[in-house]
Amino acid sequence: MRELRVTIVAAGLAAAGLWIADSVAQTTQAPFTAAQAQAGRAAYATSCASCHQANLAGSGEQPPLAGSSFMATWGRRSVKDFYEDIRANMPYGRGGSLDTPAYQNITAFILSANGAKPGSKPFDGTSTTLISAVASGQVPADIARTARRGGGDEGEGGGGRAAAMRLGQTLVGKIRNYAPVTDAMLVNPDPKDWLIYRGNYQGWSHSGLSQINDRNVDQLQLKWSWAMNEGGENATGPTIHDGIMFLANTSNTVQALDARTGELLWENRLGPVATRAYSALRSLAVYQDKVYINATDAKLYALDAKTGKVVWETDIAPPGKGFNETGGVIVAHGKVIVGLTLCRGQMPHCYISAYDAETGKQVWKFTTIAAPGTPGGDTWANVPDDMRAGGETWIAGTYDPDLNITYWGTAQSKPWMQASRRSGTASTLYANSTLALDADTGQLKWYFSHAPGETFDLDEVFERVLIDHGEQKTLMTIGKVGILWKLDRVTGKFLDAKQTVFQNVYDGIDKKTGRLSFRPDVLAQKTNSWISSCPSAAGGHDWPPTSYDRANDLMIIPLDQSCNLMLGHDVAQHTGVVQPEGEEKLFFMPGTDGNMGRLAAYRTADMKPIWSFQQRSPFLTGVLSTDGNIALVGDYDRVFRAVQTTTGRTLWTVRLPTVVQGNPVSYEVDGKQYIAITTGLGGGSPFAKPSSMLGELHHPDHGQALYVFALPDRMN
Amino acid sequence: MLRLLTLAAAALMGAFAAANAADIYASRLTAVAYDGAMRANVQGDGHVSASLDGRTLTVKGDFTGLPSAATGVRLYSGPGIGVPGGAILDLQFSGQTEGTVSGTVSLSSTQLAALKRGHVYIQINSQKAPDGNLWGWLLPDHPFPGPDVPVAGQGFLPQLDVPGNWTEK
Repeated sequence: MRELRVTIVAAGLAAAGLWIADSVAQTTQAPFTAAQAQAGRAAYATSCASCHQANLAGSGEQPPLAGSSFMATWGRRSVKDFYEDIRANMPYGRGGSLDTPAYQNITAFILSANGAKPGSKPFDGTSTTLISAVASGQVPADIARTARRGGGDEGEGGGGRAAAMRLGQTLVGKIRNYAPVTDAMLVNPDPKDWLIYRGNYQGWSHSGLSQINDRNVDQLQLKWSWAMNEGGENATGPTIHDGIMFLANTSNTVQALDARTGELLWENRLGPVATRAYSALRSLAVYQDKVYINATDAKLYALDAKTGKVVWETDIAPPGKGFNETGGVIVAHGKVIVGLTLCRGQMPHCYISAYDAETGKQVWKFTTIAAPGTPGGDTWANVPDDMRAGGETWIAGTYDPDLNITYWGTAQSKPWMQASRRSGTASTLYANSTLALDADTGQLKWYFSHAPGETFDLDEVFERVLIDHGEQKTLMTIGKVGILWKLDRVTGKFLDAKQTVFQNVYDGIDKKTGRLSFRPDVLAQKTNSWISSCPSAAGGHDWPPTSYDRANDLMIIPLDQSCNLMLGHDVAQHTGVVQPEGEEKLFFMPGTDGNMGRLAAYRTADMKPIWSFQQRSPFLTGVLSTDGNIALVGDYDRVFRAVQTTTGRTLWTVRLPTVVQGNPVSYEVDGKQYIAITTGLGGGSPFAKPSSMLGELHHPDHGQALYVFALPDRMN
Repeated sequence: MLRLLTLAAAALMGAFAAANAADIYASRLTAVAYDGAMRANVQGDGHVSASLDGRTLTVKGDFTGLPSAATGVRLYSGPGIGVPGGAILDLQFSGQTEGTVSGTVSLSSTQLAALKRGHVYIQINSQKAPDGNLWGWLLPDHPFPGPDVPVAGQGFLPQLDVPGNWTEK
C-alpha cells in the first residue's frame, strides 16, 4: 500500500560506488551560502524532520536524505532538479506549500548535510551543478549525532501542523447507564449504532436507516462539527453506540462525544504525537464496556468506555523499532484482532495477532511472510528469510461469525519490483493474498494469492466484503490493480473477476483459477529501467472502501485513475537498513480524459457493471450506502456528495473546508438520523498523487474535523 | 417476419455503426510521465482526433499551455496501451506554446495493427521537454459525458473496449 515517493527516493548501498568515486570532487564550493544552510536547518526541522528524521537518516518508508543512498539517487542530477523536486512534492502531500526561500534554504541544508561546502553565491533555484560535484554524502558529525527519533515521538514537530500537546487524559468521563456491547449486538448491529469499522462484520459499510433518502437528501444540513487534531494523516470514521460517538484523532487521541450535540464526554491523548504520513487511525472497536484502539506506535489499548481511562495496554510489536499500525481493529468472539505495518528492514516479519478482550493477553499470532521450511516458505525463490518483506495488513479484517473465520488482506512483497526483489514471478506468500484465519486460534483455513509475483506496488490488501448469494458464501475484494474478485469464502476457491478501471499490467486471466498473466515486457524487467504500470501505485482502488447495498445487490466502489513509469533499484540484500526501492513518474490514465476519480456500481451476483461516472478529483473517502437509496462519498476537491444508489445520479453536494478524507457513517439518536464524515490531510498515495498531478485543485493544509449532517427539524 | 427483419436491420446498422466508430480515434493530450523535477516543463493540454481510411490515418488536433515552444510532433508505438515505445511517423504542427497538430500518414501492417490495439500514441516535444511534453494514446472515440454524469455500465475501459489487450482462458 505504500506509495512511491514521487521522486525523493534513495538507491541501495550497491550504488555506493558512485558516491565513493565522486567524493574526490568535494572541494568545489556549492551554489549556496552558509546562511542559507543554517536557515534551511531550521526549516527542515519544522517541515521535513518528522518524516526524514533530524539526522536525515529516513524512517520506515521515508527515504534517507543524506549519505550513500541519497548520493546514489541524486548524485547524477543537478541541484536545480533536486530543488524543483522538493518544491513540487514536499512536504509530503503538500507540495509547494512553503515559500520559495524555504525550499531554497532546505535544499542548501540537505546539500550541506551531504558534505557540500557553502560558497559565496546564494542558491536561487537555477544552478545546474551536479550534486555529485559538490557533495560527497559524508554527513557532518553534528548532524549525524542527532538522535534518531522513533515514529511519532512527542515534540518532534508534525507531518502537517501537529501542535505540541500535553499527553494523557484531559477529561475523565462520567457516562452513566452505558449498555455493554455484546457479541449478539456485533453479529446483528442495531442500525441506530455504528459499532464496527465497516458497519457490520461483513464489511458492508451500509446503514439500515432510511429517514434520509433519495427524496429528501437535498435538504441535508449541518447539525454540528468538531475540530480534530492537526498533524499526521486523518482518515478515520467514528464508532457510535447508544448515542455516544467514539472518535480516533491523530496523535492517538481518543474522544467520546455526545453523538446528538457534539459535546465532549471524555478525552484521552494516548500519544505519541503524529509526526509522519503513516499516522492514521482508521477505526476503533467497541466491545462490552471497553473501547479498543491500535495506536500508531504498534500499541494496543483498551479504554473504559464510560471514563476513557486505560484499562490495559500491550505492545503489538517490539517497541521503539518503528513498527506501526494504522489499519484498525476488529473484535471477534471475544478477541481483539489487529494487524501490523512498517516491518521492513527489520525482523520480525509482519503478522496478524489476537488479544483477549478482557485482559490484553496475546492469544495467537499469524505471520504473513512464510519463512523457509514452513508452509509457503518455498514460494520466495530462495530469498533469505531476513530479506523477505511486505505482507502488511493496512486494513482491519472482516469476520464471519457462523464460520468463526476472520478474513484479512495482505500487502505486496517488498522490494516492490521483481527485479529488485530477486524473486521472479514467485508468489511470495502470504503477500497480496486473502487470508482466512480461525478467529480463536489463528490457524490458516485457506489463502488465495491474488497477484503472484506482483511488481508495481499494487497490493491487494483492502477490504474483504462478505456477501451471500443464495447458499453460496462469497468474499469480494478489490485491490490496487482494480480487479474485483469473488471467492468462495468457505474454501477460498476462485469464482470470478471483473476489471473496473483500465489496467495494463496483466494481459489475461485463467478463468478457472484466477491466475493472472503479466504483460510480456513486465516479465522481462530489469533494475534501473523504466516500466509502465496502469494503474499507478495510487491504485485503481485503495484504502477508501466500497459499500454494499444488499437490497439492490450493488457494490459501490471508489476508483482512482492514474498511471506511472516505475524504476526498480538494485536493493542491498541485507537487513537493518532502510530499503529504498525505486522511483516513479506519474501520468494520466489513457482513456480517462484526465479524470482521476471514478465511482462505479457493480451487481455482485453476476458482476455486471450498472453505472459509473468520472470526475477530475479522486475520491478519498469510503462509500456509505443506506436503505434510503443513497450513497455518500467525499473527494480530494473538498466535495462531500450523495448519489442515488441505483443510478449514480448526484442528489446533494456540500463543499467542506479541506480534503474530505475518512469513512462516512450513519446513526440515529432520539429518532433522528445523522451522517458523519471527516475532513483530513496527509496519507499515502491516494492523497499524495493528486497533489502532484492536479495542480488546479487547492485546499488548505489544515482543517481536520468531523462534520455531522441531518435533515432539518422541520422539513420543507 | 417483420419483427425479424427489423431486428436484422437493426443488427446490421449496429454493426455498421460499430465499424465506423472503430475507425474514429481520439485522445486528450496530457503531460508525459514526470517527476517533480520535470513538472514545470511538461505542463499543457490538448486534444486530437484521427480517422482511419484503409491504411491512411488523418490526424488533427490542438494544444495549449506548453511551458516552452513545441519542437516536434510524432506518432509512437509501444507494447501496450499506456506503455511508451519508439517513434514511428512524423506529424506536422503549427504554433509554439499553443497551436495545432495535423497530418496524414500511411500505416504499415504492423503500425495498423498497433493502432487497432490502442498501442499508438501522439507525443509533442518541446524546447524544455525534448523527450516529451504532452502525449495521448489514440483510442476509439469515447465521448466524455461530463463530470459526475453517470453512464450505464462500466463506461469506457480501454483494455476491454479495444480488442486484443485482455484474454480470458
